[in-house]
Amino acid sequence: MRRLAIGGRIDRSQQIEFTFDGRAITGFRGDTLASALLANGVRLVGRSFKYHRPRGIYSAGPEEPNALVTLGTGGRREPNRAATTVELAEGLVAESQNRWPSLNFDAQGINGLFAPFLSAGFYYKTFMGPTRRAWMFYEHFIRKAAGLGRAGEEPDPDRYDVRHLFADVAVVGSGPAGLSAALAAGGAGARVVLIEQDFAPGGSLLSDPADAESVAWLSGMFARLAEMPNVSLMTRTTAFGAYDGNVLGLVERHGSGTADPKQGQARQTLLLLRAKSIVYASGALERPLTFANNDRPGIMLASAARVYLNRFAVLAGTRVVVATDNDSAYRAAFDLAAAGAEVTIADGRAEPIHELLEQARRRGIAVRTKSRIANALGSRSVRAVTLSEPGGPATVKCDLVAVSGGWSATVHLTSHLGVKPVYREDMRTFVPGKLGAGLFVAGAVTGGFTRGGSIEEGHRAGAEASAFCGIAKSVQQPVGLELTEIDAGSHDNSLSASLRSAPLPHFVRAHDGSHTVCPEHHRPDRSEERWFANRTRAGDEKGAKFAAGKAFADLQMDVTTQDIALAHREGYESVEHLKRYTTLGMGTDQGKTSNFHALSAMAGLRSMAVPEVGTTTFRPPYTPVAIGALAGRSIGHHYKPIRRTPMHDWHVANGAEMLEGGLWMRPWFYRASGRDVNEAYVAEMRLVREAAGLMDISTLGKIDVQGSDAAEFLDRVYVNAFAKLPVGRARYGIMLRDDGVVFDDGTTSRLGERHFFMTTSTAKAADVMSRLEFLLDTAWPDLRVSVTSVTDEWAAMSVAGPNSRDILAAAFPDLDISNEALPHMGLLEEKYRDRRLRIIRLSFSGEWAYEIYVGASLGTEVWCRLMEAGAPFGLKPYGVEALGTLRIEKGHVAGPEIDGRTTLDDLGLGRMVGKRSGYVGEVLGRRAAFSDPTRPRLVGLRGVEPGRQLHAGAILFRPGEPMQGHGLGRITSATYSPTLDVWVGLGLLARESAVEGAEIVAAYPITGQTVRARVVSPIFLDPKGERLHG
Amino acid sequence: MLRIECPCCGPRDHDEFRYGGDASANRPAYDDPDFEAWYRYVFVRENPAGLHREYWQHVIGCRQWLVVERDTRSHAIASILFARETRA
Amino acid sequence: MADGSTMTGFEMAADDCAIIQFEAWDGAMAQFEAELPRILGGPLPTEVGDTARHDSWLVIRVAPRRFWLLWDGPPPIIDVDPKLGCALPLGEGRVRLRLSGRGLQYVLERCVAVDWETLAEGRALQTGLHRVPVLLLRRSALECDLLVPRSFSKSLIEWIADAAAGLNRAIYASPRTDALSSAHASQRTG
Repeated sequence: MRRLAIGGRIDRSQQIEFTFDGRAITGFRGDTLASALLANGVRLVGRSFKYHRPRGIYSAGPEEPNALVTLGTGGRREPNRAATTVELAEGLVAESQNRWPSLNFDAQGINGLFAPFLSAGFYYKTFMGPTRRAWMFYEHFIRKAAGLGRAGEEPDPDRYDVRHLFADVAVVGSGPAGLSAALAAGGAGARVVLIEQDFAPGGSLLSDPADAESVAWLSGMFARLAEMPNVSLMTRTTAFGAYDGNVLGLVERHGSGTADPKQGQARQTLLLLRAKSIVYASGALERPLTFANNDRPGIMLASAARVYLNRFAVLAGTRVVVATDNDSAYRAAFDLAAAGAEVTIADGRAEPIHELLEQARRRGIAVRTKSRIANALGSRSVRAVTLSEPGGPATVKCDLVAVSGGWSATVHLTSHLGVKPVYREDMRTFVPGKLGAGLFVAGAVTGGFTRGGSIEEGHRAGAEASAFCGIAKSVQQPVGLELTEIDAGSHDNSLSASLRSAPLPHFVRAHDGSHTVCPEHHRPDRSEERWFANRTRAGDEKGAKFAAGKAFADLQMDVTTQDIALAHREGYESVEHLKRYTTLGMGTDQGKTSNFHALSAMAGLRSMAVPEVGTTTFRPPYTPVAIGALAGRSIGHHYKPIRRTPMHDWHVANGAEMLEGGLWMRPWFYRASGRDVNEAYVAEMRLVREAAGLMDISTLGKIDVQGSDAAEFLDRVYVNAFAKLPVGRARYGIMLRDDGVVFDDGTTSRLGERHFFMTTSTAKAADVMSRLEFLLDTAWPDLRVSVTSVTDEWAAMSVAGPNSRDILAAAFPDLDISNEALPHMGLLEEKYRDRRLRIIRLSFSGEWAYEIYVGASLGTEVWCRLMEAGAPFGLKPYGVEALGTLRIEKGHVAGPEIDGRTTLDDLGLGRMVGKRSGYVGEVLGRRAAFSDPTRPRLVGLRGVEPGRQLHAGAILFRPGEPMQGHGLGRITSATYSPTLDVWVGLGLLARESAVEGAEIVAAYPITGQTVRARVVSPIFLDPKGERLHG
Repeated sequence: MLRIECPCCGPRDHDEFRYGGDASANRPAYDDPDFEAWYRYVFVRENPAGLHREYWQHVIGCRQWLVVERDTRSHAIASILFARETRA
Repeated sequence: MADGSTMTGFEMAADDCAIIQFEAWDGAMAQFEAELPRILGGPLPTEVGDTARHDSWLVIRVAPRRFWLLWDGPPPIIDVDPKLGCALPLGEGRVRLRLSGRGLQYVLERCVAVDWETLAEGRALQTGLHRVPVLLLRRSALECDLLVPRSFSKSLIEWIADAAAGLNRAIYASPRTDALSSAHASQRTG
């Protein structure tokens, strides 16, 4: 394994230092972590998931099952990154995973000896039923032994961003098909985004020798695209998910450890690309071969060996066995031979085409036909393979095994919307099914593996995609890549010339001109598939003969052929069951290299065809996406937007402890009232009962209702009547849902004949608004009513308490607020500094009180004016905790009682309806079930054990009854009542038990406390309302 | 994500909208006392595998209630109208 | 206003904003559209999202039967015939954020799902910003107004400022040209 002196697409002038397991290593710009490790002779990079077997680098892309490493340290620690997709960066810190104490000596490698216990379904069988308790004991050890990387525990200091993008045409993949599609769509005038997961664009062309003809083609394409301002190329960007509406989820990586969060630089950006049309040119992934010990370091995909050689100038072995069941691996064999390796081809087929055999012979490559690998020898590195051949087994020494079991089209994104891929027997791969409008495919993803075909197809797809967007200017197709025209004869000794000399089958277009169907003799045969299926049959003699070790179907999840046979024997035959029983395809690679063979094997075991067995479901993400990228900037302080009232800053400056309620920030209590909330709310309740308090109620929902039918509209949405409400008066109203359950309550005042001002609870404001609009748009469009949310328009405050009238008079000496001018439930519309001022006399606390509404920009000014005028009368601010407890004393229901389950009768509000009809929820509200004696009823509860607290949430039982189940009801709200010097609460209690005077036991399950209480009227204070009316 | 083309605002992400349920259910007149009719309107649903008429409100936009015909199998949207238009 | 030549390339200013909403009754639209221009002294915008400017007034059609009138200076006195529609002041409840500079698109892409490149000057649209309903008005190539609910305004200002945090590095080269030209260059040198 070594770096060649010349060649590759690396920049040898830029050395990059990094560490792997603490060892300092040097690579070049343009390397991946995997290529730099290989170039430095690092072959063993990790231990496997279950058996701790030594593993090396298996691929050169996102399909990598083995070479998972942990990157970074501290909060930036990122486990399970495929080394094959990590762009090498200066100072990169990489660590191998799942090994202890070290990679070379792993104490748990011994797990392999206990393999029979770790087969598929082991956990389920061993720890279900009577032994289930044992799982509790063993889980810790098993979890420690099996696994991948470990996540960091510190907070991630990096920044992640989210961007919204728009395009006419999105092209996924920048190989020949993708580039051609981008050129066609861009030339037509469409706005094009070309997406490439790699840091270098070019796709499969990057695995050609750096001086091959394809390189000039690539360069020409970039030059033409760079001239188009409407085409953008995004590299290092993975299209990880396809969503409805032709939306793609992309994640862009900005380099390892180079983004500085303090400069606002994001480590990754999540992009939501809304495209009118999408061209999927996502290519194909090579499949492995299955044989005993097929996981040994030094065994890799043939395409990967070629990428390492041609893109990274790394010769991954000097004695190479190329094992294949198709033609494509011959390209790797020829390139490796040209680079000086001694190459043997083990071709499973009986008769590879003569042309290939001839070329191999010319290069001094030995081709063994009907030859397949039975076993790989060596442990930390492959040192030989045993070949199974018609003449008996043969052993060939080697330090690199390059395998090819055919190709699977990368159909993932095309399947994310539930479009099942379809099987093409002629190509032995699943290809995309019938896609929705505006979605196109081109290149190897269609199963056509020729370059000329890909370029043509890409061009057509790009043109169709732009036409789909209504952009139809045509553009000339790029020149195809006709490598057959290159003269092979003249530069026999030059590395580069010999590399491009071969008219390889996969570059040749079929004679009938079609490019999607490979010529018959190039088709891979199905011998590999059959052999694999045979081997998985338990007890198969031929298979057992060579079964000197495990043959892995899924390298990452350590699923062997025996596990598949076991699943089959035990009835887990459907692919979805197979997947879950064996964990096949459930690793971070999602079975990109393993699924096809395993599904074929199951097909073989069941004597079915591959399409009958089907595939498992493809879901986003295509490759792993960091949670941080999904969260973006919506973390910490920015987790959600914060809503502040107009007086917010005053509260904070004046010692309020703020409380989140929904998105709102509200004053919970003021620290001047007490050391903690319990002390403060009692003091603030006393303040309101004995002098006066000022409360910010700006969070109430406020809705302006106008129009000649406004009164009729309100009559229909409220259970109680509003049509006869006089102008200048307010009324408490209740709304039901269509099913008769209470929806919300609030006060609505009449500003004019056709004009009302509605308030809703803080929590339901948005729902009520939307519901009113729904009724007007869908049910009663004939009503002339306009509804508009004015929640933000008004600052609102409530001054409550016996001194409130004096305070209001002092603050607004020009206003007549006498009992006659402003009676209980009366409304004044006045001006304050030429701006609207609304005063409504109504009370939530049971005290004499006013609600004052003023334009939001004047909120703080009016608040301060009231505070100043009220100081001589003892006015102080109070918070939501006291607001919530004052109303309990008064028996007013609120959110805890109006909980989406209670009816008017449950809440004792049935009398509000009278004999009215024609309101929302009326008919279903009269359901017989709502009169059932087990329905709850609102009651008051008065503690009878002095000093013992009643808790909201406590369950109510009859004294002496066993305290089990849901009891007879529950306490919904509770408070200490300074007026009564006793704990009081509101509760919902079964009607048959809701007898005033009865004793009840409240059990609070969180602390296990039980407290006795007496059922009383829910109105604890001033039942005649004398405080309100004076 | 769904993209819903509001008739007056253009195509938008579905998170600008609020779902409003089955638009094929017939709401009885506000003063209709027929229990059966209300029962069917509130509780009885078809749940079709295929085209479904449903209400969506462009709540973060123009606030209009819309009737959307969506295929429940593919999420493909066949038509979108203002709810007020569908009543005419 | 900033012309984008500042060091940061992005500026944001918050201001109060006078708004009156007009709404026509369903069925009275034709009369309303005939009547209101006489009061305003100019035609109404025809499509939702269109705007019409008359002197110091700007009218935005925000829904099929709804218009917002924005103005600078003393408030206009407008009576709408209750047979045709109604009016409602909304300026107290909203704050106008004026965003400008060369970094504007960079910031907007991180805040709203709006295709800025196809949004014509003088067009308005309503959308979500950090899930809060806002009205976005494109004033010119490098300037827009956002009308945001007052209760959310501080939170949204912080959110927008945070979006602009990475601007210093990103503003001067668009990512597009970066990737393609470097791909091109690496091909030439490679």
